[in-house]
Amino acid sequence: MATTRREFIKVAGGAAAAGAVGFPAVARAQAKSGVPSDPVKIGVLAIRAGIAAPVGAAGLRGTEWWAERVNKSGGILGRPVQLVVEEESNPKDTVERYRKLILQDKVEVVIGGISTGVTLALGPVAEEMETPWLSWDGTTQKGVEETMPNPKWAFRSVDNEVEAIVAGRLTPKYFKGIKTVAGIGNDYSYGHDCWETYQAVLKRYIPDVKFVLELFPKLGVTDFTSHIAAIQQAKPDLLMCSFWSGDATIIMKQAAAVGLFKSMKGVFTTAGGVHDSLKKEFTPEGLLLGYNTMYFDDPKGSPLLKQFVREYKAKYNEYPAYECDHAYFNIESYKAAVEKAYAASKKWPSKVEVVKALEGIEVDSLSGRRSWRPDHVQMCNFYQGLTTHKNSYDFATINPVEVVSTTVAMKPAGAKLIEWINSWKI
Amino acid sequence: MGGVFHAAILFLVAAGLQLVFGVQKIFNLACGSFYALGAYTGISAVGYFVGHGGPPILFIVPLVAGGLAVGLVGVVVERGLLRFVYDRDETFQLLLTFALVLMLEDLIRMTWGAAPASTGGLYLAYGQARLLGATVPVYNLIVIAASLAVALGMGFMLTRTAFGRIIRAAADNREMAEALGVDMRGVYARVFTLGTMLGTLGGALVIPATAAMSEMGIELIVEAFAVVVIGGLGSMRGAFLGALVVGVLRSVAIWVYPELEMLLIYLIVIAVLLWRPRGLFGTAAA
Repeated sequence: MATTRREFIKVAGGAAAAGAVGFPAVARAQAKSGVPSDPVKIGVLAIRAGIAAPVGAAGLRGTEWWAERVNKSGGILGRPVQLVVEEESNPKDTVERYRKLILQDKVEVVIGGISTGVTLALGPVAEEMETPWLSWDGTTQKGVEETMPNPKWAFRSVDNEVEAIVAGRLTPKYFKGIKTVAGIGNDYSYGHDCWETYQAVLKRYIPDVKFVLELFPKLGVTDFTSHIAAIQQAKPDLLMCSFWSGDATIIMKQAAAVGLFKSMKGVFTTAGGVHDSLKKEFTPEGLLLGYNTMYFDDPKGSPLLKQFVREYKAKYNEYPAYECDHAYFNIESYKAAVEKAYAASKKWPSKVEVVKALEGIEVDSLSGRRSWRPDHVQMCNFYQGLTTHKNSYDFATINPVEVVSTTVAMKPAGAKLIEWINSWKI
Repeated sequence: MGGVFHAAILFLVAAGLQLVFGVQKIFNLACGSFYALGAYTGISAVGYFVGHGGPPILFIVPLVAGGLAVGLVGVVVERGLLRFVYDRDETFQLLLTFALVLMLEDLIRMTWGAAPASTGGLYLAYGQARLLGATVPVYNLIVIAASLAVALGMGFMLTRTAFGRIIRAAADNREMAEALGVDMRGVYARVFTLGTMLGTLGGALVIPATAAMSEMGIELIVEAFAVVVIGGLGSMRGAFLGALVVGVLRSVAIWVYPELEMLLIYLIVIAVLLWRPRGLFGTAAA
């Protein structure tokens, strides 16, 4: 079950109270020399409403799980951590809350940010406020080039297009003889960027591939029967779909109702974000399905991932999605950077020192090793594979699991995306 | 065919909107929220039914029952809130129903959470049929039939029953009806509840074919608005025809030129507003 507003207040309040009352006692006993004993405040921005609310909830839950663990083991250098949670909504209000976190709550770092529109607005503000900001998500490469050319304080997530690139590379490997492709995505930057990128990648592997239909329904549409009829009429060999929210579930169900994937292959670059709603009854086997940067059922997963999945399931009766790990990595990397800087100076680092330490740092995250590239971009693995029903759940999972690193699937610093794709040696 | 299914659902919501506007002269923005409320209640009712050993094939029974039952919230809204603003300016009424939209959206999120909810694979429980060379889920046909039945039932009630005559009288001239001894408070409460039930039933019926999201109501209000403008405010026949026009044209647009999907509907809305501002059936009240 998702966190209700009341629970949310309770959790946030509880965390604050625990930070203010419970943990300083622990901290006084353990704070290292040169480290203040008061809690270190961490600002968190999480979407609470609308289509991305489940993603925001996942990020917040990952952060809370991290905070609980860290506080149990003595905090950061003996300083307990205290989360100050604010809502991410529209760009204007979120910028105000961001300023409040820094000016009024005096947080030492801000994490979070999912919507591209919001994160693009936050970028310049982060530079102006001179406080490290680690973004969970929401950064298409196009926009970032324009508004965050050389960020000093902002650390941003992977390019949105990586999922489409990974899917484009895996398509020819798993589906032979594809000649015609149709695409469907949401009518905003993410949907269009994914489709454009997927086409560019696929053309490199299958030069004579034809793109026969593209559909961009408005975000929030819940009836795709007409779209599916149009896709059937276009008779492509393969359908590429970049839906990532409830719409992924809906189109899967409505496609099953008319047997769409009996006559064509399917690629769902991002539907793994709502994986436990993709029930076996209507999700066929053999679709290429992307789980973004964390796969909860990874057979090669670390003990940390397994523990997280177990506790998450017990607490929320759901299986965690990728945003948990974007959030976990962000805050874990902050902790590692503080500790790294402390090792050099033997005192609690300034914000500038934290930023320096963050550049290039690598830590164990839920899904494995993750790092910050020196130009402040997150590096991690992407998980995609073919859907299967051979599992103990009532929803589809993937097997085999393909793990593709951003070192090969994300454009290098400074490169132009399409030019970079066209320069690949295949 | 996809368009007709969508039209069937749109008709139910728009019919609720029309009924309330025809009699109470209130443009109820919250009709979309009632639709969302019906959807979530339907999911819970079906979940409870199947969870307690009910045969999945009969899921439509708790679905409809849940959808209709939650429509009783209309009594609370009408008696508790709306009746205080009948004599106020329309702006107040719009603001009040808009406030309801926001409150109900939050209420849904607090009750059911923010993640999309659905009835799993029950949609496919009735199988598929071949119709005019296309594969159509039988469930869609059931919903279309149910919506037609509601349309006929509404038509019968409005033209052939005593309550229907009172409704039409009240829609025509409230003061006169009241002077003739009609208890308007009772009529308003019943009409609003009926209107609400149409919306919640629409939400419950659509949900097996899709997934519920807390903001799904907002999306529908816009489309229902287009239906009402095309059909004519306050007219039942207008709601029927408007829903069919919007549902089918959207479907045709996606086939022919996908970029036109939403634009086409608004082009028609504009055309109707310019050449026939009262809508296709705008003269007939209720």
